[in-house]
Parts: sequence; C-alpha cells; structure tokens
Amino acid sequence: MSSIKEKFNQISPSEFFYSNRDLAGFSNPTRSLYTAVREFVENALDACDQKGILPDVHLTIKAVDPEKSDPKPYILTVKDNGPGIDAEHIPPAFGTVLYGSKFGLKQARGMFGLGATMAILYGQITTNKPVTVKSCADGKIQNQFEILLDIQKNKPVIVKHTTKEVSKTGLSVSICLEGDYSKAGIKIRDYVYQTSLITPYASITFDDPKGQKFSHPRFVKNIPSPPTIIRPHPHGVDVERIRRMIVESQFEIPIIDDAMIEKVRTDLGLSKKNLSFTSIMEKAEKKWKNLSRQVRVVIALMSFLKMDFEKLNKIRIEDLDIPNKKLSYWDFGDSQSKTIDMDPESQYYKQLTNTVQGEPLTTFLTKRFQRIGPTTAVKFAAFVKFKPERRMGTLSNQELVTLSDGLQKFEDFMAPDSSCLAPLGAEPLEKGIKKFFNPDFTAVVQRPASAYSGFPFIVEMGIAYGGDIKSGGPHVYRYANRIPLLYDEGSDVVLKVVHDTDWGRYKIKGEPPFIIVSHICSTRIPYKTAGKENVADREEIERELRLALQFLSRKLASFMSKRGQAEMAKKRANLYAKYIPMIAEFCTELAGKKKEPNYQKILDAEKASQPKLIPEENKIENK
Amino acid sequence: MKTSESKKQNRIKELSKKADEKQKKVLTMLKEHGAKIYDELDNGQFPKFTIPSRSVSNIVYDKKLRQYILGSNAALRSSRNSAQLRSFTQLMWLAFFANRLTKEKKSSTLRDVYYSSQAFGVEFEDQGESDNIIVDLEAVTSRAREDFHIFPEERSSIFGDLNIEYTIPGYEGKTMNLSNHPDGYSIGPSLTTAELVDTTAEIVIAIEKGGLFTRFVEEQVDKKFKSIIINTGGQAPRSTRTLLKRLHDEMKLPVIVLTDGDVYGEHIAMVIKSGSANAAHLRELTVPDAKWVGVWATDIEKYKLPTIPMTESDIKRCYDLKKDPRYQDGVWKKELDVFLKIKRKAELEAFSKYGLTNITEKYLPQKLELAKSL
Repeated sequence: MSSIKEKFNQISPSEFFYSNRDLAGFSNPTRSLYTAVREFVENALDACDQKGILPDVHLTIKAVDPEKSDPKPYILTVKDNGPGIDAEHIPPAFGTVLYGSKFGLKQARGMFGLGATMAILYGQITTNKPVTVKSCADGKIQNQFEILLDIQKNKPVIVKHTTKEVSKTGLSVSICLEGDYSKAGIKIRDYVYQTSLITPYASITFDDPKGQKFSHPRFVKNIPSPPTIIRPHPHGVDVERIRRMIVESQFEIPIIDDAMIEKVRTDLGLSKKNLSFTSIMEKAEKKWKNLSRQVRVVIALMSFLKMDFEKLNKIRIEDLDIPNKKLSYWDFGDSQSKTIDMDPESQYYKQLTNTVQGEPLTTFLTKRFQRIGPTTAVKFAAFVKFKPERRMGTLSNQELVTLSDGLQKFEDFMAPDSSCLAPLGAEPLEKGIKKFFNPDFTAVVQRPASAYSGFPFIVEMGIAYGGDIKSGGPHVYRYANRIPLLYDEGSDVVLKVVHDTDWGRYKIKGEPPFIIVSHICSTRIPYKTAGKENVADREEIERELRLALQFLSRKLASFMSKRGQAEMAKKRANLYAKYIPMIAEFCTELAGKKKEPNYQKILDAEKASQPKLIPEENKIENK
Repeated sequence: MKTSESKKQNRIKELSKKADEKQKKVLTMLKEHGAKIYDELDNGQFPKFTIPSRSVSNIVYDKKLRQYILGSNAALRSSRNSAQLRSFTQLMWLAFFANRLTKEKKSSTLRDVYYSSQAFGVEFEDQGESDNIIVDLEAVTSRAREDFHIFPEERSSIFGDLNIEYTIPGYEGKTMNLSNHPDGYSIGPSLTTAELVDTTAEIVIAIEKGGLFTRFVEEQVDKKFKSIIINTGGQAPRSTRTLLKRLHDEMKLPVIVLTDGDVYGEHIAMVIKSGSANAAHLRELTVPDAKWVGVWATDIEKYKLPTIPMTESDIKRCYDLKKDPRYQDGVWKKELDVFLKIKRKAELEAFSKYGLTNITEKYLPQKLELAKSL
C-alpha cells in the first residue's frame, strides 16, 4: 500500500477569483460588460460621495473593431471628477485583488473594491491588454499608469508610468475587455438611466459604441451628507469578528532595545545625566497622564525590576506570568534566567495586566461597540454570567462562543446607529420621480432607521401614477445603496411585497400607469447572490418595505378616489346633458304644453358643483 | 224596425261614450304625471316619482283577493341619480308614447314599442329592457298596458256560442257570434274590449294546447257540453285572462282549466285562478273561482296514462311551488305531492292511446261532473 500524498497549494486571491469569476458577475461577455460598467461607475460615484463632490461621470464604450460581430473586444472608460488616488496607491489598488479602501463599516455602493479589480482581471484574461489609469489627486499632476496583474503572485506589473500637468482632480480608468454590447446594451442604458434617478445630484453621460449619446444632467444641487464610519453593533458581529477585535485591543510587551529606551527617556523629558532609577520613577509618576501606552508598559516593568536604563539594556523580558504575579527575564550579564515577584497592589501591576490580558469585558464592550454604555455593559456581563472585569485576553474558545451568542441574544442593546447610512432623502427622490415620469401623482416616504442582525437599514420609497408612465404597472424600480438592481427580479423581497399587495383595495385596477421606486440603504444589503441583484427576504426589511408601501398606497388610493369622483362627476354631467333635454321634450307633450320647461338651470347648477382635482404643484424644470 | 234602429244607434253612442270616458281617464292621469315632471324641471329641480317596489320581498300573497299583490314598499326614482337617469328617460318616453297611442286610438305591441323607441333616440338594450319599462309604467299608473293600447304578440283563441259587440273605433256596435268560424277567434285588443252580449254556454273550458282545442271544436264539445272553449296557448296571456275573468264575472260562467299532467300544467291553471307574481301590481286579471280539473297526477295512475319521467327542472319546479302559499292545501298540494312522489308526467295527448275521442267522450264528462263538486 502506497500512501497518497496530497498536495496543498496556497492560491492567491487573484487566482481564486480567476477560477470563480462567475461569482462576481463575469460569467459571459454580456453580463461581464454590464458588470464592469457598474463596478467602475459605482466606484466613481462612491469616491465623489465620500469627499462631498457633486459627481460628473463620463462613461464611454467603444468597439476596438466596429466591423467585428459580437462578442468582441470593447474599450470601456469611466472618468470622474472625484478626489483621485495618490500615485503610490494606484498600482496596488488596480493591480491587486482584495485591495481597497472600503473596509470600514458604512454604507457604500461597493464593499471591498473587489469588483473593479475583477473587471480589470476579466479584461486582461480576455484581451491581454493592461488597464490604463489616469489619476490626479492634488489638482496639479496627473499620473498615468498602464498596469497588468500578475495573477499567480497577486501583484501589479507596471507597464508604463508617465505624468503630466493638469488643473483638476479626478480619475479615469480604461480597460479593454471582451463584451457583447448588442445584448448588454439595453441593460447598460437602463442601468445608467436608473442610476441617474437615484443619484439626482450626479451628472452622468454615456457614449455608446453605436455613436449614441445619453446624457443625464444633474437636477439636484445638494449632495446628501456622506455617511460616517462607525463601530459595529453587538448584534452584527460573529465569533471571528470578536476574536479579531480582541487581538486589536491587546498590546504586545514592547521589545526593550536602544531605540525604545531612547523613546522612554525623551518622552519623560530626562537629560542623559540624571538617570537614576528613583528619579526615573519620580519623573514617570509626574508625567504619567501624558505617556503613551508603550512607555507606560516599560515604566511598569522597570518598577518591578528596579533597574535604570543601563541595567535594562542588559536584560531581555522572558515571561509575564500575571496569574502567579511573576516576572522572568534573561540577564545577559549573568547569562541566566531570573524571576521576581510582582506586587499586585502596585499601580503598575494593573498596567501590565491590561496589556497582557486585554481589556476588562465592560471596557471592551463600551469602547469597541456602538450603543453600549457602562450600565448596559454590566447588565450584559450578568446576562452571559461573566465577571464585568473579566479580561478579554483570557477567554477560552468556548467562552468566546458564549460571548458571541450572548451578544446576539441580549435584547437591551439600543437599535444600531444609522449615522453610517446615507439615504437619498425624500425630497430629491420626489424630484427625481417627477422629472423622470412627469406623473399626475407622486408620493415618497423615508422610513425611520431599523436593523436586521445588527445591521442598520433605511427604506425609502416613492410611488407615482399617470403622466408619462406606461400602463401595465406597477413597474418596480429597485435600488440598494443607490445601485439599481436589474437582474434576477423574480426572487427579490421588494417584488414579493409588491406582488402580495391587493391593489384593488387601493382603487388601482387593470394595468395601471404606475411605478414604485424602492431604495434600501444598509451597511450590509443581504443580497441573495454575489452578483448583487436581488435582496433576500429578511423579516425586518420585508416589514419596513410593507409599511412604506402601505403608507404610499393609501395616499395613492385617496388620490385615485378623488380622481374617480371627478371622473364620475364629469360622466354624470354628460349624462344629464344627454337625458334631461329628452325628459323635457317628452313631458312637454305629455303635460299638453307648447313651450319646453327651463331645464338649463339644473344643468348649470350641476356643473358648478363639480369637485375639482388639486393640480400637482410646481413641476420641475428639465435643465 | 225604426225603434230597433234607433235603439242600435243609442247603443253605439253608449258604447263609444263608455270608451271615451275610459280614454279620457287614462289621458288625464298621464297628463297629471307629465305636468308634475314639467313643473319640477321648470323650477330647476330634478324630476322624480315613486314607484311601488317590485322586488321579491315586496310581493305578498293576499288571501282576501286570492292573488299576489305588491306590498307597501315604494322606491323613489330620481333623475338626479345618474344610475336611474336612463331608465327615467325611457319611462318618460313610454308615457309620452302611450299618451299618443291612447289619444289617437292606435294599438301597439310589446315588440312594436321596442322598435318605435329608436325613432325618438331612446335606447333600449333589447326588448326585455323595454318590456320591463312597460311593467314600470303599469306599476306607476296602476293600469294594465292594455289600457295604453299596448298588447302582447302572442294570441290565444276562443270558440263557442258567444255574441259580442265591438267597441273599437270603426266597429262600434258591430256584433259577432264566436261559433261562426271553426278555427276559433284570435283574442286580441278588439275582442278583449268588446261588450259581451249573450251566450247559451254554461261553462268555459280553458285548454292549454292548440291541438286539443282544434279536436274539441271538431268533436263539438261546445255543443255537447254547452261550453265556450279557449286555447290558452301555454301560459295564458293577460288579454285571455282578462276575457276569462269577464266571462266569469259578466256572463256568470264557471271556468275550468285542462292542462298537461305536469307541474307546469298545474301552474298554468293556478295563474288563471290567482295570477302571477310578475303581475302583482295589477288587479282584474284573475278568476279566483276557476277550477283545475286535470290532468292530475292522480289521473296518471287512474287512467293508466303513458308517461315520461320528470326532468331535473320539473322536479326543481315542484320544490319551488311547494314553498308557494297557494300550494299549501287542497288539490294543489295533493297533486304536487303526488307529482313529486311518482316523478313522472303525462301529456293531454296521452289519452290518444285509448282512441282519439277518448278524451272528449270519457275523460271530459267525468271531469265536468267532478268540477261541480270541487
């Protein structure tokens, strides 16, 4: 029997995504072209949003050889007026998979900047052409790079780098990729159109391969306030996340070398002459409040070792045994290991404990999470049956799981902070809807922030009826974090809610000219697939959508009934005008009279009493 | 000679005076309705009127009158109500049209009314809608459509020794004996409005079917049994029922009804006796003393008649009639129960099995005898 040797090769993220590119929406030339457009346009808009710049985004798609039939290589260029990227960050940002600036917890269109590099990767695979990046971050110098991706090493290869003088910041990314515009075109145009509805403060132009220009000018001048980065909500973390947070909170015992000693000395403001142990300690006590953590730890160690800098230079700390209150070190002079006892009553003992065992549970909770104050932290400790002062560094794996479960189950945490969200706002949404559809009726609502699994979210919704809207509705425009969702409609939670609605109840019948615009904002949209096209039906989200839709539908119903009344009145007036003269004619002969009765009075009175529809106030000018 | 001539002249005058009076009454009534509508319009008001409700809940059986009548529920018809405006206009037109018919002494039929409406720009979906408006006019005015010179299309016929005298324009004073023509006389407007002068008959036999009517004439049932024979042609039309009532009331003749041996036959007899729910708004259409003599369900067994099974709808009709207050006792209840029990029925023609004259020679004499005791 020969034993089978299995080979385990570590693969780079680039390689992983290369072999699983359909996960990210690059399954075929049609879908890939569309996904690439999305990724670059969204990155451009995100970049502008974060710096509070009104975005000007120019999208161009050109066929390399217009005569060829689809699928064929296209050059896709997206240019923005955003902050640009520093020259040093450009090669890793565009030539490394999983390099990005969006790892913080706040609402953004993309999450990790993964999509753009995927598009670049896809372009390189299909056409073997480098990505061209032109960036100006300072408003003076534009750096132009041509970069290839080394897939195996997940490293950028700079093909060309030039600079030139410019006057504005901004970024332009251009890739060559195989695509199928004849099929993807309709989706891309839809995407651009729908994006401009939910981004009314952006100006977006699109030059398509057939020479057509689509221009969506900005019609709202105010950019919504950008979201802030916040700490996680306790409901939104898992064991792995907690483990990482603990590691971040812990502090290594600093290596005591010449540089460190020099730093301590300088921070204490000591001259070289005055270096006795006692004077060092005295000085430290005075300056304690202003000392950095590193320096405090060194001072604490020195207090137990009772050494000055000179002696400290000749030892190496071996172990800090907090439970047994012992400190071991290697003495280079004596070439032997020595152990001393630490006095637990000493103020420096606490400092070392903090460093090695991490923060107490309560401190960890209040400092590292949102929405937890000292009182809640103590309550929570009792809930999970941990001591409030329990050091985070001493938790076993099993205890970590208990803690994580507890964070999920404990119900007294306040709802997540929604300051990390950036909804569009009811007013711009209404303006957008009015401009796009010129409807007879519009209503919008922004629901208060809610949360699912610790992730805050806000539902915004608009509804419009009549005007330029095509019949056959309701037509649903779905957005998540200001991204239009165009594919995989069937399984989406928004559509589920719309389809569950009994429109007859709201006086809407047949195939009405009727649209619904739904926008879900969240730090994490629960997409059903990696392609980011449909939102899963989380109970909390479904509830908010339902409430928003019900609220708007009621408004629509009252409009419809007013409109119905007006129509009825008109119909009635027509009936009167038709029949009353006939009645007059017949009864004249019947009554044996010659002259017809004066029936005009009732017709006039009826006309005057007709209810009138309140006209939609000030229509938005298309500029 | 001279006296008889002047007597006749007087008689004609008397007749036309009577007809004129009736006409005047109808015209006055219509004019009153018209004037009310006219004044309302002229005062800037939407004209309206009340109409007795003809809904099922307002049709009640009057034991004293022995017929269905309308209860006290009335509905307001207003021209302000856009849902009623169309039918309001239709009714106005009909009153207007009836007024012309009555004034000019012209007759019309239900179908003719429906078609005439088009000339005035009044729309009816179908004849059913126009028929319904005619019933509305009857209900509002409490007068039968015949008073407005509107008659149904269907005609039934009469045969027997009865002298009549016409009252319709151009025929006033002209007399006729109704046994002169063996095909019988069609019961139309002129016959319904004629004066009944005299008769030798002692009984009226109403029969459901034309075939048997002809047979009865051939067999001289009119002479043999001193009878007037009337073919109702199925469910008796109103003019026929009016004539039956007049024969009973004015000539003091008993009326017997002979129908097929099924539940529909039984009900034909019942409608002659006590009217239909459809005409609950009208009086003078019933012969409460009329007797149904056959063919009974019990006759089927007794005369060993060939039968056919009842259909689903026959059986359903039986159950419907069981709820009718008029079928709660006597022969009506008894025969209905038997029909339901045997679930078979027989036609009048079934007697042909025992010879073509069997019905007139055997069955009819027995039934006439029986009728005396009913």
